[in-house]
This record gives sequence, C-alpha cells and structure tokens, in this order.
Amino acid sequence: MKENRIASVVFLLVALVYLALAFLTIPKPTVLQILGPDVFPKMIGVVMLFLAGLYVLQSFRGVEQTDEARAAIIGAEEKLSEYVDVKTIGKMLALMLVYVWIFDPLGYPLATFLMFVTGILILDRRHWMRDTIIAVIASFGFYFVFSLVLRVQLPAGPLKWLGL
Amino acid sequence: MWFFDNLAMGFSVALTPINLFYALVGVFLGTIIGVLPGIGPMTGIALLIPITFGLPPTSAIILMAGIYYGAMYGGSTTSILVNAPGESSSVVTCFDGYAMAKQGRAGPALAAAAIGSFIAGTFATLVLMLIGPWVAAFALNFGPPEYFSLMLAGLTIVTSLAGRSLVKALLATTIGLAIATIGIDLQSGVPRYTFGNPELLDGLEFLVVAIGLFALSEVLVNLADMRQAVQERLAIKGPLWLTREDWARALPAFIRGTLSGFFVGGIAGAGAAVASFFSYGIEKKMAQHKDELGKGAIEGVAAPEAANNAAAGGALIHLLCLGIPGSGTTAIMLGALMMLGLQPGPLLFQQQPQFVWGLIASMYIGNVMLLVLNLPLVGMWVKILDIPLYLLVMFIILFSFLGVYTMNNSTQDLFLLLVFGIIGYLLRRLDIPASPIILGMVLGDLMEQALRQSLLISDGSLAIFVTRPFSLFFLFLAIVSITNPYWKYIGIGLRRLFGRAAVA
Repeated sequence: MKENRIASVVFLLVALVYLALAFLTIPKPTVLQILGPDVFPKMIGVVMLFLAGLYVLQSFRGVEQTDEARAAIIGAEEKLSEYVDVKTIGKMLALMLVYVWIFDPLGYPLATFLMFVTGILILDRRHWMRDTIIAVIASFGFYFVFSLVLRVQLPAGPLKWLGL
Repeated sequence: MWFFDNLAMGFSVALTPINLFYALVGVFLGTIIGVLPGIGPMTGIALLIPITFGLPPTSAIILMAGIYYGAMYGGSTTSILVNAPGESSSVVTCFDGYAMAKQGRAGPALAAAAIGSFIAGTFATLVLMLIGPWVAAFALNFGPPEYFSLMLAGLTIVTSLAGRSLVKALLATTIGLAIATIGIDLQSGVPRYTFGNPELLDGLEFLVVAIGLFALSEVLVNLADMRQAVQERLAIKGPLWLTREDWARALPAFIRGTLSGFFVGGIAGAGAAVASFFSYGIEKKMAQHKDELGKGAIEGVAAPEAANNAAAGGALIHLLCLGIPGSGTTAIMLGALMMLGLQPGPLLFQQQPQFVWGLIASMYIGNVMLLVLNLPLVGMWVKILDIPLYLLVMFIILFSFLGVYTMNNSTQDLFLLLVFGIIGYLLRRLDIPASPIILGMVLGDLMEQALRQSLLISDGSLAIFVTRPFSLFFLFLAIVSITNPYWKYIGIGLRRLFGRAAVA
C-alpha cells in the first residue's frame, strides 16, 4: 500500500531526526551523572529507528501479516474505508483553523457561534432553524454556564461591554 | 475489622450529597458516551477531564470512574438493539444480543447485560477492596528496578494487544515515550527538544495530545465519510426482566464471565475486549445450551457483559495499587490524576485513604445507580441515537476546543490540538493504534526516573534488572508479550529445521 510506504519513510525520518537531535542538542550537565539527560532519549531513538526500519521493510516488501481473527479478539479498530470526502474534510479543517485564529479576538461566544453555524452550513443545512437555535445555546449558553456557574475563564471578546 | 472502618470512612466520603451528585453525573454521562457510536470510554474521559479541573481530587476520580463504568454499561444497549457496538468490548454482545432482540427478547437481553454488569462491577469492587491494600503493601517493597521492569511489562502487554500489527503498535509506543522526553529534564535541569520555544519547557500538554488523538481524530474520521448508514432499530417488546429459566441459564454465565473477565482482562492486563471474547469462548465450551450460542442464547449476553465490566474493574487495581495503567483508558485516568497533583501507586492507600476508600464506596453506589438508571430508562438511551451525526461532530469539536482552552487559556494549545487531531486521523488511516502513544507519554517520565535510580543503586550496572527476582519476572512477562504473535512461526521454523521427529 502506497500510504504505508510513505508513512514508513516518514517514521524513519522522524526517528533519525529524533536520534540526531539527542546527540546534537541535548547539552551535557555540569555535574557528572550515571545516566545523563541524553541517554534515555538515545535509547528510545535507537528502538524507534529499528522499528521504523522494520516498518519500511514490511511496507515495501508487502509482507505485513494481518490476522483478522486476532484483530477482532483484541478489539482492534475497524479499518477505515478507502473513501475520503476531501472537500468536506478540507473545509472543516479550514473552519477549525479559523476558529483557533478568532478564538481570542472575537471572544468565545461569538467565535463559537460563527464556527457552529458555518459548520452546519457546510455539513447539512436542511434544519437550519433548529440548528441555529442549538448554535446559540452551544455558544452563548455554554459561555454563561462556564463563566458564571463554573467560574471557568473564557475570552469575552467584544461582548465585554455587556459587563459579564 | 480494619476494612469495615475503612469502608465506613469511604461511604462517609461517597455519600456526601456533592459526591453522590458527581457519581450520578458520571454514570449518566458515561452511559451517553457508551451509547453514542464511535465515542468510547477513552475518548469520553479525555473529553470530559476538563470538567474535573475545579473539583477536589476525590470528586474528580468519582466522576471519572462513573464515566468509565457507565460507558462500559452503555455500550451493550446499542449492541443489542441496533447491532452497532458502542465500543470494541461490546462487539461480542452483538452476536447473541441482537439475535435475541430479533426474536422479540430484547427485554431479557438488556436485563441480562445490566445484571451481569452489576454483578461483575460489584465483584471487582469487592476484590479491589479486599486485595487492594495487600497489593499496595506488597508493592511498597518494590524498588526502582522492579518498577522499571513492571512499567516495561505493562507497556509491552498493552501494546501487544493494540492493533493488527505489532511493529506499528510498538512504534506508536516509542513515539509516546519520545513525546514524554520533550521539556526540561527534571534531574539535570537541561531542556530537551524544546527548540527554544518557552511554551514547550513544561513538555507537551497531556490533554492536548489525548483529545487530539482520540476526540478530534474521531471527528475527522466521521467527516471523511458522512454517508450515514441507516440503522434498523429493534423495538423492545415484552418484559424487561428475566424469567426463571433465564435466571437458571444466565446465573452460571454471570459467574463464569465475571471470574474470567476479572483475571484475564483485569489482572493479566489483557483489557475488556479480550476479556469479552475470552468469556464467550468459555461459554462455547461450558454453557448448557452451547448449540444455541450465536442464535440468541442468553449466556452469550450475560457472560461477555459480565466479563468486560469485571475487566474494567480489575484494571483499576493496577492503576490504584501499582500506579501502572493496564489499558488506554486507565492511562488517560492516570494522566488526569497526575494533573490533579496525585501520584497513584502503593503509597496512595496510606497517604490518601479517604481518596481510595471514597472511590471504592462510590463504585458500589455507582453500580447500583446504573442498574436503577439503565433498565427503566433504556428507551431514552436509545433515543440518543437520533442525534444526527453532523450535530454530534459539531459538539465534539466544541468540547475538544473548550476543554483544551480552559486548561491554560492558550491558543497555541488549540493549534497543537488541531495538529494532533490530524496526526490521529492519519494514524487511523494507517491502522496504527493511538492508545500506546498515550501510554508511552504517561509512563515515559516515570520510566526514565526509575531507570536512573536503578542505575544509581547498582552503580551503573544493568545486571540489577535481572538479578532481582521480581524485576526478572516482569522482564520475562514483557518478552513473552511481545514475542507471542510469533510463536506460531517459530514453531513452524523449528519443525522445518529439525524435521518433524525432532520436535515430536
């Protein structure tokens, strides 16, 4: 599988970089220790490199054995279907990124309301009336519960003038 | 009797109105999580940890434990009525539970699942109460070498049972351990892997990784394929209780399931899913009506449901007495407890008795609450499935971001959350299990400390790990657990090498 080949090489690179950084960037402490701060990361790095190497071998030679009966018994998660709705997933990821970006400046209630409503428009707009009411509860309602009842601090944003 | 005193103290903690309230909230939320498809106990606890921030540790663990066994309970309802297991440990329940529901016997199936869970949960709590203090006292003799080997064994046992590929699962563990090394090394004060970013000095926030890898990745999995399958839901007809004949058949199954689940899933650390399969296997050999299994036999519901709850309870023994998580879910609970400033382990019984015994008492109460809540309200739980998938997705997004933000009030954490969500999704696509990452991350620092202290004791010699008997035993367990998928091939190889006669 192509996905696995790319992933195995990425893991190999991660392991190499991790190990290299352990050798290059972790300074020696001034006091001599039996096991310095660099030893444990180096150990992990070597094991990771070995496993990533095995993964590369398996993915390129296609020898990965999967025992479905065993997978069922240990409760392994189901394999995902090959189908990926790239458009929806891309839009929603962009939406979440924007949400992170406006979280502080717009404040929790406003940013969350906008995120929720946009999300509904992207995913399913047939019940927009009901869903908009839910969005109001989930943003403004949650804000009041969290900040007034549970005393959890959330950014108020421009709504600060409401004195809340 | 010393433990009656302790238990009385525990109940005096658990029966305070506020803790009763948290136990109720916990089992309630847990049941919802169990019923909802895709959100298992692990995701649920990760998402709900932020609620516990403002609470005292005892109330927090009572709430979390409630969520934990509530979720184990709730999973069976959808297995029986919809043939859609809420999590991996209730897959087995589908076989006979759904078949029973199709024959119009959904009521007895639900009742058997609930009663089995109750019996197993109560049994596990009882054993925790009786042997917990002994295990903890025994573990007090463990030095750093024993702890290091024990953690290594815990890590490899859980890892060897996660996912289809051992290489991938072990790789995930090392990634988790590597994440744990980020931040200032407490022993030498040297920064590691921080890249000059001051926010990384404390290391990556555990909750950011957990919520990203479990909750947000679940969102992405759903978004990638929103074509929701229409599920046929079977109505509950007839009485919601067991007949005399049902009792006669289910009772031995309850007992077999409880015992096998407790020892295999709990004590041996194999987890709830393996426990439920194992007990189903036992039923196939021992049940009176074994020919009916798979076609709607009550034993097929009673035993696995008892087993997975007994396993969940057994896993708590590891967590509370040894401080070593025996599953992904308890790893998340361990992380949460450490965030609350508690270090689970053998000292807990001595230093925080009101915490431990309060939790034990609340588990009795929680199990009763579940039994009372679940059966009459089963109609309501099933209604939860009416929530459209896209609204569920929006709410998981909302809670993920809210939870991570309330931790540090930092938007950088939100960004990291998104990154780990994407990583979690890619791992799911690649069939790489995420729970070993969490386990490695939680145990990484502890293992490094134990390793250093061991070598300090032995003056740098690694022999200390094999000359101490308990340490050697744990190392042996670790080796057995990672080699066991290959025994088959080693056997075949030996036979080829030496010919049949030599082996026989």
